[in-house]
Amino acid sequence: MHILGVYNIKGGVGKTATAVNLAYLAARQGYRTLIWDLDPQAAATFYFRIKPKVRGGSRKLIAGKVDLDEVVKATDFENLDMLPADFSYRNMDLRLEDAKKPTKQLLKLLRPLSKAYDYVFLDCPPSISLVSENIFRAAEGLLLPLIPTTLSLRTYQQLLDFLEGHRITGLELMPFFSMVDRRKRMHLDVMRDLPDQRGELLKAQIPYASDVEKMGIHRMPVEGFAPNSFAASAYQALWMDVQERLKGGF
Amino acid sequence: MAPQPISYLLPEGLDLKSLKEQLAETNTLHEDGAVEASQTFYDSFDWRVWQAGGELVCEQNQINRLCWIDRKTSEYQACLDIQQAPDFHENLPQGELRDQLARVLEMRVLLPQVKISQKLRTLRVLDDEEKTVVRIVLQENRFASLDGKKSGELDGRVMLNPLKGYDKDFDRLRSQLDELKLIAAEQSLYEYALIGIGTKPGDYSSKLNYRLDPDARSDATAKKIMLSLLDTLETNIPGTKANLDSEFLHDLRVATRRTRSAMSQIKGVFEPSELETFKQGFGWIGQVTGPTRDLDVYLLQYDDYRASLPEAIQGDLDPFHSFLVEHHKQAQQTLVKKLNSPHFRKIIKTWRAWLKEPVPKKPTAPNAQRPIASLADQRIRKLHNKVLKDGRSIKAESPAERLHDLRKDCKKLRYLMEFFQSLYPKPEIRQLIKELKTMLDNLGEFQDLQVQAESLEAIGKQMMEEGAPASALMAMGILVGQLLEMQVQAREDFAGLFTRFSSNENQQAFKRLFGG
Repeated sequence: MHILGVYNIKGGVGKTATAVNLAYLAARQGYRTLIWDLDPQAAATFYFRIKPKVRGGSRKLIAGKVDLDEVVKATDFENLDMLPADFSYRNMDLRLEDAKKPTKQLLKLLRPLSKAYDYVFLDCPPSISLVSENIFRAAEGLLLPLIPTTLSLRTYQQLLDFLEGHRITGLELMPFFSMVDRRKRMHLDVMRDLPDQRGELLKAQIPYASDVEKMGIHRMPVEGFAPNSFAASAYQALWMDVQERLKGGF
Repeated sequence: MAPQPISYLLPEGLDLKSLKEQLAETNTLHEDGAVEASQTFYDSFDWRVWQAGGELVCEQNQINRLCWIDRKTSEYQACLDIQQAPDFHENLPQGELRDQLARVLEMRVLLPQVKISQKLRTLRVLDDEEKTVVRIVLQENRFASLDGKKSGELDGRVMLNPLKGYDKDFDRLRSQLDELKLIAAEQSLYEYALIGIGTKPGDYSSKLNYRLDPDARSDATAKKIMLSLLDTLETNIPGTKANLDSEFLHDLRVATRRTRSAMSQIKGVFEPSELETFKQGFGWIGQVTGPTRDLDVYLLQYDDYRASLPEAIQGDLDPFHSFLVEHHKQAQQTLVKKLNSPHFRKIIKTWRAWLKEPVPKKPTAPNAQRPIASLADQRIRKLHNKVLKDGRSIKAESPAERLHDLRKDCKKLRYLMEFFQSLYPKPEIRQLIKELKTMLDNLGEFQDLQVQAESLEAIGKQMMEEGAPASALMAMGILVGQLLEMQVQAREDFAGLFTRFSSNENQQAFKRLFGG
């Protein structure tokens, strides 16, 4: 079972769209895939038309009173299941603090699912918190959508500092450019310079495209309603890059 | 437990179209476009997957997925993505399924049994968010044999597929389908497809599957037994020629040995002159199939051989492997020539013709007309007594030949008990065969280890002549030493095993079954 987090300290960078589309592509290849919407805003849950409700909420979940398996919902797509968001997730940090080994709770919860799924995608809430630290410790790889601006490069550096400061190693970092607007000078400048400095950067780029925004209208992954769009092929390229990286490192 | 998919058959007078209309009255439905799908089912020649309670399906989609389905629950228990058609378990990607198949298949190869192609239309039942809560798949199914010669249509089916987390909706739809008088299918599509191509799962087994009439004439019964052995032998010829796996040849050879044993051990039922040519013929079959089998055995054991050496020199054994592969290829070619020869074909043909001839009204052989139950009792009793007598006389210092002779008699006894097992109460005869087998395994090991040690030395010499490096011969030398050590151990174990076999309890059991 490969656990992949999709994360950025900053919100609004195309995080949920990435998690939803990549999970869909993995499932379409035949891999048994789970997407866990950890963000109380429940955007991923909304995209799959699932009600944002988890029996017992984060309290029972973290206390181990409900098995993840019991609250999993199938999506409309074969091989793709979802753990929906719940409004109580906004208090997840508090629940985690109460637990033993507070930074390893999510990994503990996910472990029993290791035979049932090939891929697990964690759609993480923005900001650095106990929840995100849990995600860093549970995941094998971290997908990091970056808008090509100097500000978002700073937040990437903040993350690297955090990981180093907390001695979190062995996490495959996979930053990639997201919401790329080729009409913007600054985007082009950042995209020209950064790859030389950051070898871990994935090649694929996700464009700023209305088809991605339309996911909210169609309530499904891009591939579901615009399979031939530029955005759909961008996510395919991204998924290929990710698989390649997980296979052999770089 | 989460609900499992249910496969329904449509009742008379209800077609897929009207089913859809009926369901649409109370449900919001969305129909997806039709998709084509295809599945190939695999099993070994002797149906090991089936016997283990499974179905092994390869679903051909964007990726090919090999799955083990539990026959009782229809549950998919373990799956693997595969790049090429499955054959031996060791060639599959690692995972739970491979481990399971290793246990079930051992040395047997997976063979495609039947193909099912489907046209699938999915009706999705939606909730108020237009989220799918249940999937109903309307299937049109066709089966085809692998050579495409037999094909046809199977009944259409309606699959009710639960979606995780939507159990209540599943239950609701299930009651609706029940009300529409849909019938839950008891047999899987695979079973129907096999019937379609005229195959029955489990129709081959190297075991002796027949019931004997205790009062039937001995000569007629002997023919019946030998005819069943001939069927087994012939069934295994194509697989042996194609060398699909080593077990075809093995089963062919076992059938040959059993036939020879039946000719000599079911005594006095035919005139000796009648059997003479056939005895020679089957002796020849045993002989010409031997070299390939010997090499098969080394190849099957090769990994164990290699692992038994210290790690640093395991690689030194590689030339031995190349030697085996190369010589196996030659031996196999020779074997195929022999099996294609007019001589072989004639033996089989005349033997079958003779077995099918009705037994004479007035036979001259002394036991021909005797009821088989009485002859079986007598023959088993006699051999059992001989085994006991000879076994008791074997001491720690007795030469190895004495154990080899005892092994031969034990084997004859085992074959007789197996030929006639349907004449005796099942649990009792099974238990005694098992007791005998334990001792026979030990005797077999004792002899095989010696033979292997000797032929490894001979092979070593031959390899040297063919220019193998000295390191290979040294590695083989270590192997020979280990085999001989194991042989000493086997010899030490014999006394205990014989004491057990000849225990009072076992002797009483033999008496109860076979009299005396």
